[in-house]
Amino acid sequence: MKTANCVRAAVLAASLCVSAPAIAQEKTGNKEGFSLKPGTVRIVLMRPVVDVGEQSTGGMFEPNADWTTQARGYLATALGQAQSKLGNVVVEYSDQSTGDGPLVTQYSHLFNSVADSVIEYQFFPGNRLPTKKRGKSFEWGMGDGLSRLTSLKGADYALFISTHDEYGSTGRKVLQIVGMLGGVGVTSGVHQGYAGLVDLKTGELVWLNADRQMGGDVRTLEGAQKRVTQLLEGFPGRPVEVAAAGN
Amino acid sequence: MRRSLALLASALIACAGSAAHAVDPTLALPTYTAAYEPTNVDERGLWMQADEAERRMRDSPLRIRDGNLEKYLLGVLCREVGQERCAGVRLYAMEDPQFNASMMPNGAMFVQSGFLLRVRNEGELAAVLGHEFAHFELRHGLNGFKNRRTGTDVMAWVTVLGGISNTPTGSTQLSLVGSIFRFNRDQETAADLLGLKYIAQSGYPAHSASEIWKSLMAEQEATARGRKLKAKQHFTAGFFDTHPTPLSRAVYLAQEADKLPAGGDPRKQELQDALAPYLPRFLAAQNKLNDFGGTDYILSNLAARSGWTSDLLFARGELYRARANPRDLQLASQFYREAKAAGYAAPDLDRNLGLALIRNGQVEEGRAALSAYLMAAPEASDAAIIHTLMAN
Repeated sequence: MKTANCVRAAVLAASLCVSAPAIAQEKTGNKEGFSLKPGTVRIVLMRPVVDVGEQSTGGMFEPNADWTTQARGYLATALGQAQSKLGNVVVEYSDQSTGDGPLVTQYSHLFNSVADSVIEYQFFPGNRLPTKKRGKSFEWGMGDGLSRLTSLKGADYALFISTHDEYGSTGRKVLQIVGMLGGVGVTSGVHQGYAGLVDLKTGELVWLNADRQMGGDVRTLEGAQKRVTQLLEGFPGRPVEVAAAGN
Repeated sequence: MRRSLALLASALIACAGSAAHAVDPTLALPTYTAAYEPTNVDERGLWMQADEAERRMRDSPLRIRDGNLEKYLLGVLCREVGQERCAGVRLYAMEDPQFNASMMPNGAMFVQSGFLLRVRNEGELAAVLGHEFAHFELRHGLNGFKNRRTGTDVMAWVTVLGGISNTPTGSTQLSLVGSIFRFNRDQETAADLLGLKYIAQSGYPAHSASEIWKSLMAEQEATARGRKLKAKQHFTAGFFDTHPTPLSRAVYLAQEADKLPAGGDPRKQELQDALAPYLPRFLAAQNKLNDFGGTDYILSNLAARSGWTSDLLFARGELYRARANPRDLQLASQFYREAKAAGYAAPDLDRNLGLALIRNGQVEEGRAALSAYLMAAPEASDAAIIHTLMAN
């Protein structure tokens, strides 16, 4: 009695994967006129969503628990190192036994949905909804309910980070090479990530950086550092000189 | 020596005697490893994903988190598969009107409210929980993943090589897709058969599993009638079906059940008592499916067991008000009033009665019901709009 649609979608996706390379466009969005003075606010880092695995020959995602655990560790280290360059205090989220856990998980998913919508309907200008076409407008939010969560008291902003990596398996790479020789296009590997900053008072999304073709191998510390640098590109409020050095 | 021979002989006789009384060896359950940890890279990866999914479901607003229902359901699972097997299971009850239950490779089980609305006794409930547990015990999640991967790997090669050599590959691709779905159906059958072994151990009636599929078919027919369609029951599964058809499952499960000990009490009353506090919530979710025939069938089934209680009458009023033909509005008001007479106390009854009456042209009566609602719930989130409605 497992969900039939899931299986169908997976099979369909896998059968289409060979001929549909992902077309993406890197971009950063900022709420108009938003700026963050260094040393003035407290930012909470929410539990990052990290997925690392292989891409099978047929294009399926093969989750890899060891790589994901490694990446989680390296990304946390890299984020810790990058903190000093962000200009403001960043602390990791903790439930503090307030019982907010379920709601916070739900807000993380809401953030993912909002971020996906921004990527789809803001970062691709051709897709823009009529209300998002006015000049440089960047009006996205997730409601003011966040301000009522006890475990987030004392914080001003929440930083959400999410990465998804599929490394092409040997089979996929061989398929790609054979395809290339014969003139059939096959993509190998998926590396997506986004980072966003949400104002906890108003629920507004004040900054989002999304990239569907990211660099940096998150399975190594150096790669994770590179990935974090890319994720935090354009982070508002970072001191200019350090930002330049960070890139 | 003679004595020892005699001892041996009596021991042998004793053995033979006990063997004659022992349980049929074909019904013995396979050995079970408790607290199993995933072993290879694929399995660990799947478990990781399952752990993340479990976090999401655990924190979902759709979870029925008062604890009592989940405790009851876990108790039923333990009766069905035995204490040893059920010890590590986390069971989550979800408000979702679909007829479904599932278990992930990491041992988290989800039971949807739509399924709880449809089972008629604890035996049927236990049969489905056992079936899902069998998927877990047989590690079907992992095998299904590997099968899909192999299938799609071959499909990718066929596509690329076909593209290079300019050969049409449609029929090969199609048969590969077919093999993926066929594998899935075979797993369902395997889980059904192991599920029957649990039933044989549990003391629930052996025919519990086949009964579910019979009643599901009856409901599908009611849905089809409600939508003015023709119900189709097939014996053979379609090409893209992930499960064997209800008809074939009902047949083979009944055949296999005939070979088992008949079993005992299906514990009808226990199920009814455990679900009673949740019925209003489950029925509200079911009503939103816009499936008049199916919902009506479920309501009559429930009423056949417990009589028309106030909750059932209210849900029936909601069902008719949602379809909203003139005759339905008339009936809806009647059901609401019967529900009130039967003891339905929440103020939303007056609001919905008022709305049904106004739509039916009985404006004065409707206003009276709406003001009763506002008297009882002045702080309701929709109070302002109801005021506006009454002023017009």
